[in-house]
Amino acid sequence: MTIIPPEELVPNDERFAFLTLARGRLRGQKLFAAGAIVLLIIIVMALLAPWITPYPQDAQGGVDPVNSLLAPSAQHWFGTDQVGRDVYTRVVFGARTSLLIVFSVLSLSVLIGVTLGVIAGYAGGWIRDVVMRVTDVFLAFPALLLSLALCIVLQPDLKTAILAITVTWWPWYTRLAAGVAASISGRAYMDAVRALGISPARAVFRHVLPNSLTPVIVQLSLDAGGIILTAAALSFLGLGAQEPTAEWGLMVSQGQDLFTTAYWVALFPGLAILVAAFAFNMLGEGMRTALDPRRGFTS
Amino acid sequence: MRGSKSRTLGAVIAVVTASSLLAACSGGAVKPSDSSANPSGSAAVNDTFVYAQNLEVVTDWDPATSYSNEGIVMPNVYETLTRYNPATQKVEPLLATAWQQSNGGKTWTFTLRDGVKFHDGAVLDAAMAKAALERTIKLKGGAAYIWGAVKTIDTPSANTLVFNLSYPAPIDLISSSSYGAYIYDEKAGGTADFKTFVATGKDGGSGPYTVSLWDKGHETEVKLAAYDGYWGGWTGTHYKNVEYRVVPEVTTAWQLLQSGQVSMVGRLNPQIFAQAQTTSGVATSVTSSFQNLLALYNTATGPMADVRVRKAVRDAIDYTGLVSALKGSVVEANGVVPKGLLGFNQNIVQKQNLVEAKALLAAAGYGPNGNKLSLTMTYAEGDADQQLFATLLTSSLQQLGVELKATPLQWSAQWDRGKSADTAKRQDIFVMYWYPDYADAYTWFINMFHSANPPFFNLAYWNNTVADKLIDSLPALTAVTPPLAQAAYTTLQKMIIDQDAVASVLYVQNYQRAYSSTVKNYVDNPAYPNVPFVYNMAPGA
Amino acid sequence: MGRYLVRRLAQAALVVVGVVVLTFVIVRLLPGDPAAAYAGPRASPEDLARAREVLGLDKPVLVQLGMYMSGLVRGDWGTSLHTRLPVAHDLSIAFPASLELVGTALLFAVAIGIPMGLLAARYFGSPVDGGIRLGSMFVAAFPVFLLALIVQNLFATKLGWFPVAGEYDSKLDATSPLHLYTNITVVDALITGNWPIFLSTVHHLILPALVVAAYPIGVVTQMTRAAVSEESSLDHARLERALGFTPGQVLRRFSFRPSLNPILTLLALIFAYSLVNAFLVEAIFNWPGLGKYAVESIRSLDTAAVAGVTLIVALAYVLANLIVDIAQTFIDPRVRLS
Repeated sequence: MTIIPPEELVPNDERFAFLTLARGRLRGQKLFAAGAIVLLIIIVMALLAPWITPYPQDAQGGVDPVNSLLAPSAQHWFGTDQVGRDVYTRVVFGARTSLLIVFSVLSLSVLIGVTLGVIAGYAGGWIRDVVMRVTDVFLAFPALLLSLALCIVLQPDLKTAILAITVTWWPWYTRLAAGVAASISGRAYMDAVRALGISPARAVFRHVLPNSLTPVIVQLSLDAGGIILTAAALSFLGLGAQEPTAEWGLMVSQGQDLFTTAYWVALFPGLAILVAAFAFNMLGEGMRTALDPRRGFTS
Repeated sequence: MRGSKSRTLGAVIAVVTASSLLAACSGGAVKPSDSSANPSGSAAVNDTFVYAQNLEVVTDWDPATSYSNEGIVMPNVYETLTRYNPATQKVEPLLATAWQQSNGGKTWTFTLRDGVKFHDGAVLDAAMAKAALERTIKLKGGAAYIWGAVKTIDTPSANTLVFNLSYPAPIDLISSSSYGAYIYDEKAGGTADFKTFVATGKDGGSGPYTVSLWDKGHETEVKLAAYDGYWGGWTGTHYKNVEYRVVPEVTTAWQLLQSGQVSMVGRLNPQIFAQAQTTSGVATSVTSSFQNLLALYNTATGPMADVRVRKAVRDAIDYTGLVSALKGSVVEANGVVPKGLLGFNQNIVQKQNLVEAKALLAAAGYGPNGNKLSLTMTYAEGDADQQLFATLLTSSLQQLGVELKATPLQWSAQWDRGKSADTAKRQDIFVMYWYPDYADAYTWFINMFHSANPPFFNLAYWNNTVADKLIDSLPALTAVTPPLAQAAYTTLQKMIIDQDAVASVLYVQNYQRAYSSTVKNYVDNPAYPNVPFVYNMAPGA
Repeated sequence: MGRYLVRRLAQAALVVVGVVVLTFVIVRLLPGDPAAAYAGPRASPEDLARAREVLGLDKPVLVQLGMYMSGLVRGDWGTSLHTRLPVAHDLSIAFPASLELVGTALLFAVAIGIPMGLLAARYFGSPVDGGIRLGSMFVAAFPVFLLALIVQNLFATKLGWFPVAGEYDSKLDATSPLHLYTNITVVDALITGNWPIFLSTVHHLILPALVVAAYPIGVVTQMTRAAVSEESSLDHARLERALGFTPGQVLRRFSFRPSLNPILTLLALIFAYSLVNAFLVEAIFNWPGLGKYAVESIRSLDTAAVAGVTLIVALAYVLANLIVDIAQTFIDPRVRLS
């Protein structure tokens, strides 16, 4: 009898569940396609911002107080703000800030959350209990609230906002990953892995982790919209990005008092938040439907 | 809390949500209703004046120590000996009908008005006025410093009040102060301590209105009702009730004004004000004020202890751009003293000069070949105008390679940081409004530019013995030889703005008021910032 | 059942302790010196030292944590720096007002979200379903502060259908004073039969509550749709249809009830989320709730007040979860056994 290498014990369809399912079902998903296209446009605009905006200096500290609060026109598609900056330019540059926040928060949260969750789920016992109770405590604080508290402890700026949102976001991934990991580690092939004397760390990273990825990736795209909204809320309260950073939430808050007279200062960045969050939601929903058409909410 | 007066002008998002009156009510008591108001409610609509402002109204009910937002209520409840009239630039009688100085401005004799009754029925006499002022002086709170020259107060007769001074000072002007000069019945509470008595929303004043409700933390925070025994009488049309409503958002306040739910809004933003000017049913007024916005530079510690850095920041400010972006709600400042007050000097001009600023920074060792300069600035949270300044300055300094960290803070937090015993915690630039307690420029200099340790309002931490001596000489010069006072003011302002760059004056505010066109006879008196003198107005159609 | 309850309560207690500790850590990290704030502006070094002693700042951190916890239990939540009143008292005024707003919003969410979700599930895969789905995602993506500005400007200012801001018409205080029992105006007005204030409060509530409800409506719709359509794809639903029930009957009678569990769990989660989300709405509609208090506390670096707000929201969340979990045992016996 030959010894079967442990890798081959892992059923293929489960290890690559995400890719297989995605390939099969995404094709027909209009939601996914719509979300992806809008996001692609936002990303391209963000990348090309300096070349596709008429007044790129307005996003980098330039001001023009003499031309403040001009209504939308051919020169200024979205009008100008209180210090004469082109709102269109700043909305486009604002996409960079928002995407930066989303990607930073998501990657940090996944790194912390999935690592902890996989360890907890695989190890079980008291390690799992401790990790899960700690996540329970963090989950008892609504994301915005804990971020608010943290943003006043630290000097409010973009970095603080990213950190603060991350602190409230990782536990969701821990919970998710722990659940998946626990169910996988109880399965026969993991017993086999253990029986073969493969180290726990190796088992976790070679086998449990890849299997936790599918639900995590779906969750990621669903969360991105929420992160955009949370970051915007933080800067709306003055606790996120600071001047002269072009950030959508900050721009809305500065245009709030002008809403009845110069609606464009708040409206366009506000709509940008809506479009971006909506696009992420469509992407996530589309992806989830593709993987599990009957379920429409959190796994 | 002097500086918190400035907060009345900001658009702070939030107000205090607590209610001490409701504290007693949470167990099922009756919510206090307006007992002295017209109980039918139907006739009360027209003779109620409703004033909307963006911050909590009352922080201190004691007329001796009050030095904050409640300034918009106090003059309707309490009265002073005199009142300043900006049109004539003279003080006019109020509780005093006549006065004269003697002894080279060191003795002042006031004749009190007959038939003045306090709200508890007590009749005003010289002894009561003396008791009130002596209590104010003794408590040393709020604006009590204005009586610094007073040695003793005598009462030779029941209606004669004599001030004996240790140095000449304009007591007639000082008596008109919007803070610290009220005459009140300090025995209004009977055996209860006066401070405790008024702290619950009662009053001991002689003014046309008396406090009928104080509902701290609620939208309609204060209600006043006409005092029947007011010496001015109630013939003719007058408002019988006054309400102060806390409305943090200017857009909301504007909507309430349009719908007729409030009679007057203390401050809108320039854009909404422009809209108000063309809205039917709404009247507006614009008055140049004595209120200016200052940036105080940290002369003691940090990078700005170097005068070259201070001058560079001063020269980096786009004064013209700031005024232009604020669209008519402000005018450019000429020095520390606003136009209309002794000490104003048209020749003191501030202009942006980025070339000069760059050279100064290079000389101080900062710039492309030197160190990276990073500065901190604090300003009033929620004040859109100050925020606009912060944005403009951040931008100008960025062009010079200087990073500015501008933090909006609520006043008490901003002030605490400025006064911090740990000098490392202090800011490099402190932005705040200032306006005089009485129509005189001395207040800017004694408070912000005279040395004081520990710091109080001198948040530039400037310590200059020559300037101190000049400032100390101002009251006597003003009372006796005004031209010499003018010269001293000019010298001081040149030191502060040009030579030492202790501070920059960013602009002088224009008061822009919007009110219902049913409000008649409204006159804005900039010596009493934001105060609606309701008795002098009349309800109309 | 009893064992489940005990276990669930113990778990909640553990989370509460963790929440208190975490709040304490955050507050200790806050800038600003509580002693300096306590001692006042003209404090001498001696005054500061005394303040330190009074506040227990000179003691070891663990002792301070103990003092903090025992204070909380005794109802001493500290004194707010900016209102100069006990935090517990401030919260007893502000929290009910927020509860009123968020409670109404959740009513809207249930009243609109569940029927929409059922409708989508009934016509699963049809254009109706597609439209509802897209709409629910759209409202859930709306930044609440922008929605508040638009709604206020349109329905209050332009059309004048609703009051612009505030909790009720303050003129009514004079004509029909309100007895306070719960501090929730709408409830107090209802139980005392104070119709003028009740109607005025309801009129004032509708716009801000709808704005706060936008996100909950979106997610409740999605959740109902998903849960119900999953149930109706199961064997028992097929059987019921075979027995001659119409699809609508199957949906209402058999598929909806088991779907209530995930919807209830979701509501508990949304409740806490909306309490904080309402912070942004309260400022715009001048609603006298927790949000205004929280924002002011944050701006004045008011440590005790910030801690109080953080704690009360977290506690509300834990409590809501607990209630939902217990309620579930009555709706679905399977929960008790798991």
